[in-house]
Formats: sequence, structure tokens, C-alpha cells
Amino acid sequence: MADGEIVQDYTQNFEAWIQDFSEWQTRIGFDPSWLGDYRFDIKFDWDTAGSQIEFGDFEGKPKWERGMHIPQQTIRDAIINMVSVQGDTEFASVEQQNHLLASAPTEYDRKSALRIMCEEQRHGWQMAYLLCTFFGERGIREAAKLLERNAQEGTRVLGSFNEPIDHWLDFFMFTHFIDRDGKYQLKMLSTSSFKPLAASMGPMLKEESFHLGTGANGLRRIVKQGKVPCALIQKYVNKWASTGLDLFGTDNSTSAQWAYVYGVKGRYDEREAQGAADREHLNEASRELYYQELCDEMRRISKVRKKGEPDLYVPSDKFNREIGKYAGQRYTVQGEPFEGDEAAWEEYLIEVMPSDEEEERLVNEYMQQEWIQYREWKGE
Amino acid sequence: MQHIALTSFDKERCRPFFDRLTEYFHEHHHSEEQDANSYEGLLYRIRRPYTPQMLDMIDDWMGLEKRDWREETQREVMLSLYAIRYPDTLLIESLTDKARSDIRRLSAYLHFTHHTYAIWDEDSRKGLAKLGIDIPSTEAADPFVYGAYVTAIELLKEVAPFTCFLEHDVPRQRLFQAALAAYGRE
Repeated sequence: MADGEIVQDYTQNFEAWIQDFSEWQTRIGFDPSWLGDYRFDIKFDWDTAGSQIEFGDFEGKPKWERGMHIPQQTIRDAIINMVSVQGDTEFASVEQQNHLLASAPTEYDRKSALRIMCEEQRHGWQMAYLLCTFFGERGIREAAKLLERNAQEGTRVLGSFNEPIDHWLDFFMFTHFIDRDGKYQLKMLSTSSFKPLAASMGPMLKEESFHLGTGANGLRRIVKQGKVPCALIQKYVNKWASTGLDLFGTDNSTSAQWAYVYGVKGRYDEREAQGAADREHLNEASRELYYQELCDEMRRISKVRKKGEPDLYVPSDKFNREIGKYAGQRYTVQGEPFEGDEAAWEEYLIEVMPSDEEEERLVNEYMQQEWIQYREWKGE
Repeated sequence: MQHIALTSFDKERCRPFFDRLTEYFHEHHHSEEQDANSYEGLLYRIRRPYTPQMLDMIDDWMGLEKRDWREETQREVMLSLYAIRYPDTLLIESLTDKARSDIRRLSAYLHFTHHTYAIWDEDSRKGLAKLGIDIPSTEAADPFVYGAYVTAIELLKEVAPFTCFLEHDVPRQRLFQAALAAYGRE
């Protein structure tokens, strides 16, 4: 597909959406002057998008380049839904994190967070562009909704994106756990049968790696500094890991299966995987890879802890789940069935998750010291 | 400043390098000689206000001999580290001959004080040549040659697919420069 074809489709409707976007920025308190010379470009990597559908029932056929190429309404619906959910998370994260810029521990962290917010907005902008350009009236309506739902009001599509991010430890946890889930979602869409969607993912994934690095490095810098006790950090790990695992959706998911049949969303390792996909357990397979990656990363983070501090670990994937086969069941952070009644369970949760008092101590005591290893901003 | 003629850039030729970039990076950056832990420590330890001791730390990591510079030369270089703005390299031209005499040393100072400038490495230069980007060999810090080297790495960063980008605690210029060094030696 030539770049020119896209530009011809750059309709007035997307122009109108851009106006709404400016109003959204003002509404959530994001000052556009913070962007500096950053521009919200529409970026495609057509080279890595592939020309032929890579999996599912349409495998081997040319990838769909336009809305009208998509052979069934149900497939169009699935694509619109996926693009909408992806866009929703991008704008939600800016709404969640925006207020933290004023309390950044260092200039490096402030600028890193600002860069992340700029790039998340660009990702949302790209998703809105796809909706407005390829999916007619319905796409335009969905693009408008991306700016109408709001994380502060709890109306974003996914639970994690309505969670408050009250301080910078939560910010690093979010970028480490939740943006890492984002990487998985983007990579699964990078092999999509809808070519403009697949081609959008390369540039987004390039930017996303900085976001994950900010999270993982931020946590490592906190652990290395040794001011916030690892036992307390562990409670935040417990809180965010289960949230990240839930984002992969239900087990035995039929919608994941249909998305695979349509070739719209592949496995995380679609191009590297040997053998056929287990279509009935697609979400479980991606979640397992994510969980292993979390464990590897946590080992790296834990390695820099001060002498005498307890090892940091990722809790069992059964702990505190709200989605999937362990949803609502009681398991310990080690993955053992919890023995005890409701009251004992509530007590246990206080033991392994941050309490209000601990949150207070974190912000008003630990974070008042030099709680994170200093790093100078050098314009990376 | 764009030193590389974009019309002569062959993205297809870069594909084998991009396919194995992360392997190349690990091969070079995590080699015993490169001492990745010390490198990553310097990313934090070199910070304003710069001191001669910080330059010593960089020299140590680079395996360079002690600087044989007069006080004025040292001051001149340290001031230039504050003044220079990426991706400009022309400021180097205003330095005295002694300060410009070693491109490896000067590029390392620039790298650790800005992170965006890449360390000059003869193997990385050879890696670029294998990709069709010919940059002359030099020992002195020529602002045009070094400028071409820096912008060539910047160009690779721009066109590389997402699979090249690690969530690693190293600047992306280091990721590409280190990978180029291993590729250049291969």
C-alpha cells in the first residue's frame, strides 16, 4: 500500500476529532505546551505488517487494506472493538498519570513520564485515525467515545485503567506490569489480517519499550536505594501483578478464538511459535508467557536489593484474580488454597497488600527522603 | 544535520543486522572487556556538575591512558560538554588540537554526559560499512566524520523494526553502537 492512499482518506471527520482531542487535553489538565516540539504523527511500518494473512481461516489470502476488503460484518465488529479498547487504554493512562508530573522525584522521572504520556496520546490518536478512516460512521462514533469515557470517573473499558495511580511507586508498578500487558496486546495485533492495524503496531511497540524500561528501571532504582523496605514494595507487587494478569481476559475465551479464526489477533509469539495454536486456550498461553516474563524481570530487580532485605517475587497467578478460572477464589500469594473464613481472608489481604496506613507511611515518610536512585535527564 | 544521503541508504541490506541486533548487542555489551555493570553504573554516576574525576572514571572504563592535558584543555572540554546540543558536532571544531586528538576519548565523554552521542568504536564503524554506510577511519575527533557516525546510528534507530528495541537500562545509541561493533567484527 502506498503512503499516499492513506493521506487521501484523511477526512474532515478526523479533523473534527482532532478538535475534540484538544478539548479533552484541556479537560483533563494536560497543558499542550508540555509537548514542546512533539507532534502526533500517524506512523505505519508497512514492512513488518506482512502482505498475506498469517493464521486463521483466511491464512494465505492478502491482508485487508481497507474496511470494505473485510469479508464479514462480524470481523469488522471484532476489529472495531479491538481498536477501540486499545485506544481507550491509551487515553485512560494519561488521565491516570497526568497529576504525577508535579511531584516527580527527579527531573529525569518527570521528563520520562511526560514522554510516556505524549506517546500514549499518540497511540490513542493513531487508533482514532484508524477508526475514523476505515470504519465510517460507526468508527467515528467509537473514536468520539475514546475521549468521552474517563478514568477518574471509572468509565474506562478495562478495570486497571480506572484504578487510581496515587504516587510514583504506583506509576512505576503501572508502567512495569500494565504497560507490559500493553506490549503483549500490541504484539498480538502486529500480525493482524487488517493491514493498517498490523502496520500501526511496529512504531507503537518501539515506543512502548521505553515505557516498560521506565517501569522496570524505576523499580530497580527504588530497590537499589534501599529506603523503601522490600517488604512494602512486595505488597505493591502483589497488588499490581494480579491486575496485569486479569488484563489477558477470560480462560477458554471464544472471542479470542474468533479473533484468531479471523486472523485479526494472533498469539504473542505468532511468528516464532512452532506448531498450531491451541485455539481454545489463547489467552492462557499469552498470560503464561507474560507471567514468566514478570518472574524473570522481578529476579533482575530483586538482585540489587540491600543486604538483609527479603527477596522480591511475583505472586502466584492464582492470587487475587478477578478474571479467569481463579476469579473470586481464595489463594495465597504462594498459590496454596487459603484456609479460613471471610474475616480471615480480609485479614490476610491486609497482610499481603498495602493498607491505608502503609500508603500513608510510603508517601509521608519514605518518599520524603531520597527514596529513589538519582538519575540525570540527558535527553535520551 | 543529515550526513547520510538517504537516497543511497539500503534498508534491505540492513535486514540481517536488524534480525540479529539483540544478539549482537549482548555479544558486545556483555563481554568481559566491555564490563556492562561498570558501564551501567557510569550512566548514573556521571552527572552535573562534571568533575575531572568523572572523566577519569570514563577513561578507566574505556581502558584509556591517563589524560595528558593541560588545565586549560580540560576546562575547555568540560565547558564544551555543557554547551553542546545533540546532534550538533560542529562545536568540536572549536576545541584545540590536543582536546580533539582522540575521538574515542571525546566521544565517550559526550556519551556519558548526554547519552545521545555514540561512543566511537572502530568495529562499529566497520559495522556501518557492512551496511553500506562508509565513514572514514580516524583517530582525531573530526566534527564531520563524527557527525556522520552519530547521524548514521540515529538513522538506523529510526528505520529499525520494533524487535530491535530492548527494555534494557542502556540508551538506544549504546544498543545500536554495541550491536554494530559485534556485527563489524563478524
